[in-house]
Amino acid sequence: MKPWWIGTCILLTTCWASAQNPDTDHTEAGHVPVLSSTFGYIHNVNGGVTSLEPQAEEVLLVPFGSHVLLESRAEFVGFFQRENQTTGPFTGKVFKSVDYAQLDWLANTHVIATAGAFLLPYGLYNERLGPLWIRNLQDSPITDAIGTRPNGVGDGVMLRGNAYETPAYSIQYSAYFSTRSSINQLEASRLAGGDTSIFLKGARLEVGESFQHTLQEHQINSSGTYVSWQPEEFPLDLKAEFDRSFNGEGYWLESAYKLSQVPVKPAFFSRVQLVPRVQQFHPLNGGGNSLPRKNTQQFDIGLNYYFRDNFRLVSSYGRQFSQQANANVWNAGFTYRFIWPLWPGRK
Amino acid sequence: MRRSILSAFCIAVLPLLLCPILLSAGTKGADPKAAPAKPQNEGERLFAVNCGRCHQPPMSISPRTTGTIIMHMRTRARLSRQDEQALLKFMAP
Repeated sequence: MKPWWIGTCILLTTCWASAQNPDTDHTEAGHVPVLSSTFGYIHNVNGGVTSLEPQAEEVLLVPFGSHVLLESRAEFVGFFQRENQTTGPFTGKVFKSVDYAQLDWLANTHVIATAGAFLLPYGLYNERLGPLWIRNLQDSPITDAIGTRPNGVGDGVMLRGNAYETPAYSIQYSAYFSTRSSINQLEASRLAGGDTSIFLKGARLEVGESFQHTLQEHQINSSGTYVSWQPEEFPLDLKAEFDRSFNGEGYWLESAYKLSQVPVKPAFFSRVQLVPRVQQFHPLNGGGNSLPRKNTQQFDIGLNYYFRDNFRLVSSYGRQFSQQANANVWNAGFTYRFIWPLWPGRK
Repeated sequence: MRRSILSAFCIAVLPLLLCPILLSAGTKGADPKAAPAKPQNEGERLFAVNCGRCHQPPMSISPRTTGTIIMHMRTRARLSRQDEQALLKFMAP
């Protein structure tokens, strides 16, 4: 059966299901299939080598009523460099990948069951800060490779939800099992893991811990501890994470501050975001597995300008200090995101 | 390692923590729009608190897509059913 025919059947079924949905009678909220698209272009110069990186991320959300959701993300990333790195014409190719394709059953507050290929809920970055339109700095932290091998995806089942909640705090959890897979676009390791965090609502402070155990080859344990804080008084977003695995340990610390408190030109400065990040990595057992093999430190400073909440200019400068070689890393570009309903409904 | 963690903290965090505090002290009573606006109701508060944990809260979402987007966000942010309902009432009353 052709893929477009299967897609049409899913769309028609979900529109019928959303029409039967009794949970949204008291709001105007619609449950129609949605395509969320992000386009971006990053001009990157790393150690004197220029690369041009046009990117597109397409997230498809197909609800079946208000309790079942099919979601998937496809990514198209172009990577073009000069033929001899610093001279010659630009050549390269576009990489296509399916980041995840999962079915969620939102059973109740405490249990959301997920099956399929899902993003591994490890630390802050892979699942939450990874999308192009969310990340404040375009380069992932060095320790992003911990707990997300081979490609940040698990093939299997996951339970997650809100374990306990009071007016002052809430405790969230995720627990998953992934089987080994070598299917094209769905490669995954055999592993088990979990994540839990406590969110203090008044302070807007979240503290969490991730753990993962691979069940193949070296049987590596990985763990990560993270903090996220958005004080109500200031337009500040502070995030930090420490990760450790067989191949190394390291941390990153990032603070994003919108300059809306600058007393002059508020219309301009309220759209400007300043993002410094510091990170340090120390290899263990020789490093590797997508991690540096030498001690590495990096400092980045980003400057972003938001024309709208979905359209921004991004730029950053970073300096990497490594026992192998030091390098400057420059990024400049834009990201644009829009949400497109795939079925007519109430506007 | 401990010493470099301390210097990293000084470089990345202290200036940014001090900057808003100094700026807010200097602008007290001058421009009420400078500080983040206080949320008016429970749905708005949840919107600011929960969305802001990962990204800038989006300002424009069509009501017909709101239910689907909130389902997606409930899965990602592990929100409770009550929070989902409050967000739906706020975003698509």
